[in-house]
Amino acid sequence: MKMLAVFEKGARLRHIGHLDLMRAMQRALRRSSLPIRYSQGFNPHILMSFAAPLSLGAVGLREVMEISLEREVPAEEFSGRLSRALPPDIRLLSCRPVADTHKPPMALLRAARYRIEPRGECPLTQGDLDAFLKKESIPAVKKTKSGEKEIDIKPMIHELTLKDGNIFCTLDLCEEKSCKPDLMFACLCSSAGIPPTEALVVRLLLLSEKDGVFLPLEDA
Amino acid sequence: MNSAQEEILERLLEKVQKPARYTGGEMNTAVKSIGECDVSFAFCFPDTYDIAMSHLGMKILYHIINKQPWAVCERVCAPWPDMGDAMRREGLPLFSLESRTPIREFDLVGFTLMYEMSYSNILEMLDLGGIPIYARDRSESDPLVVAGGPCAFNPEPLAYFIDAYMIGDGEDVMVQLCQTVRESKAAHRTREETLRALAGIPGVYVPRFYDVSYNDDGTVRSVTPNDPCAPEKVRRCVVTDLEHAEYPETIPVPFTDIVFDRITLEIMRGCTRGCRFCQAGMIYRPVRERSMERLLEIADHLESSTGYEEISLSSLSSGDYTCLPELIRALMDRYREKRVSVSLPSMRIDNIVKQSLEETSKVKKSGLTLAPEAGTQRMRDVINKGVTEEDLIRAVTDAFDSGWSSVKLYFMLGLPTETDEDLRGIGDLAQKVVGAYFSIPKPRRAPGLRITCSASVFVPKPFTPFQWVAQDSPEIIREKQEHLREYLRIKGVTFNWHESGLSFLEACISRGDRRIGDVIYTAWKNGCRFDGWNEYFRYDTWLEAFDACGLDPAFYACRTRPFSETLPWDVIDAGVTKEFLMREWEKALRTETTRDCRKGCNGCGLQRWKGACPAYENARGV
Repeated sequence: MKMLAVFEKGARLRHIGHLDLMRAMQRALRRSSLPIRYSQGFNPHILMSFAAPLSLGAVGLREVMEISLEREVPAEEFSGRLSRALPPDIRLLSCRPVADTHKPPMALLRAARYRIEPRGECPLTQGDLDAFLKKESIPAVKKTKSGEKEIDIKPMIHELTLKDGNIFCTLDLCEEKSCKPDLMFACLCSSAGIPPTEALVVRLLLLSEKDGVFLPLEDA
Repeated sequence: MNSAQEEILERLLEKVQKPARYTGGEMNTAVKSIGECDVSFAFCFPDTYDIAMSHLGMKILYHIINKQPWAVCERVCAPWPDMGDAMRREGLPLFSLESRTPIREFDLVGFTLMYEMSYSNILEMLDLGGIPIYARDRSESDPLVVAGGPCAFNPEPLAYFIDAYMIGDGEDVMVQLCQTVRESKAAHRTREETLRALAGIPGVYVPRFYDVSYNDDGTVRSVTPNDPCAPEKVRRCVVTDLEHAEYPETIPVPFTDIVFDRITLEIMRGCTRGCRFCQAGMIYRPVRERSMERLLEIADHLESSTGYEEISLSSLSSGDYTCLPELIRALMDRYREKRVSVSLPSMRIDNIVKQSLEETSKVKKSGLTLAPEAGTQRMRDVINKGVTEEDLIRAVTDAFDSGWSSVKLYFMLGLPTETDEDLRGIGDLAQKVVGAYFSIPKPRRAPGLRITCSASVFVPKPFTPFQWVAQDSPEIIREKQEHLREYLRIKGVTFNWHESGLSFLEACISRGDRRIGDVIYTAWKNGCRFDGWNEYFRYDTWLEAFDACGLDPAFYACRTRPFSETLPWDVIDAGVTKEFLMREWEKALRTETTRDCRKGCNGCGLQRWKGACPAYENARGV
């Protein structure tokens, strides 16, 4: 069986990279004494996978991962044991068992919702956001492994609001197309004619899609 | 740290390299509240987080202090220059990893002295912490600055900066020290009174209670107590019962990659071999083992509390552990299911049990490191290394036969009495190791032979039989390195060598007196820090600092000292006596070896301390 787990990667750990987070999770699983499953082969590793790496510097409030287990473990037991084994700034929020045939979270991922918190006073107004969204297209330069690529991020923005000085947005995040929140924010600032602003990115929720409607990935 | 400072820190973390070095929050780190404890201790490691977190001593003492219900210990590392500069610019004081408390708010700020070339970082950390650098400038509200570790055996070079030293094994004296500070706080004693109380603890050296006088030729005339609280000689602390000594049941598990990211199991302390260059072999005497039962118990606790996937056995000479193959087998059996591997550094060549190699290789094949130290038998006899060429060839042949193809060989350059023939010997030895590899039939051996020969520069250290000898000058060392490079032009062999200037300065400081303190200060003031890191080592700045202080570095490093000279560290009784060290030096000159003291007492001096040396007591039937 597999366990689908939702966890928070706290603010203190926002500079911990994805590989380091994976290793921390592996060690927590080892400490938990849960019947984790290992891969076959010369260098066996723990079978687990994350929905999506979190950018360095970002906080994740409801991150999703799955963990393969050798045998059935009730969700309460799993949650109790893993919670005790996790460092204080990684909090397990919920978990539920799924069948081995359940698609891995990475395959179900479609988008994510973010809160962008500009440092200091928010330089943007509702008018800036409205003007930004009214554009026909929003060209942006995306850095990829093979170099820089110009893309249009307009169709990747599904929500963009301003509340209490923070920006809330839902952006595409899957293998075919994804738009990073800092890229969108940079475009927004440039469109509003203000200098690039430092901001803290908080990933609020990972989303899947069913019948053209977004739903939390953890429930998919 | 207040909220304004928190905000500054968050901003800095966005810009510096490896910000995770400064953020803490690791598994098994202390969550005690400083305000609720009687005594707070900032454990400072004068190097980066990645090095600090690999250090066993820190983990042991961190555990011991935090185990006291009335005390709290938090960790502090040296910020990398980009962070250090940014903190200074923004006025952000050096803070602890756990609660981000500025270090000047702790009762005690303790430094571990692992190597001399980290001393400039100690000044840097004090300065970043807003603590006056010279002990004489500190006020009642400043923390007490203490230090310990192997380099504390010559406390003089840092005597101006350290309020109190702990000499020797830290397990017991650390608790006594904290306890005394606790009482002092309760009794509202002054700083001076507290230091007097500390000076009364066996193993504690408080430099301000000793006066140093010098002869006209610049040598030390005397180091004498100037206060009734200070003993004539400070006797090093020895934990006689290692079996029951505290050992951590949990250790912090860093998020980021550190140098030794694994469980370290100290199987024994001390070494009976008596290599004459080796300070650790002298100052950690006698040898004390932990039982297999105790080690398995410790391993169980650590494995389950950390989730680490590797256990490394640690000691000065693990092959000498009485039941090594049994221990390895027991550990492997125990953790096979959990896929924990066992690794074995610090093996001597003469006792690499083929079986141990095979046992450890079942899970994972790590590199093999061997230290013949010198190229000829004569030279190895001078340093009392006690291994032969046959030992080495047998060991590497076994290793190649068991599937290893990469071997590291450690040598020292500039040993006393060394000649060109000894250097050629290193080349010959490497050639024979290559031969050993090709002696294994091709289908049996692993492909890709890689032999790495590293030659460090010999640095004479206090409390060794070589403490009186002159180090080769940097010019001679460079010449020798050139020659050695020629001798090691062998296919399959890579040669690594060390910066000669660094070893020269290390020699100056390791056998320095109090006046070296001003040199360290001047060098730091002129920008030296992280001297152990190539990219920050500034040799010229150090030489200028010597010049500015009117001192000649060669006086400290390259001068043969007569037996009659008062040595700056004579105030410390390390266990081994001067008579023993003199005897060993004379034997070295006669190319005479000294037996392993498990085979019979060599009278090193430990026998003076009742109950300290089990080997001696057993032999006498006490």
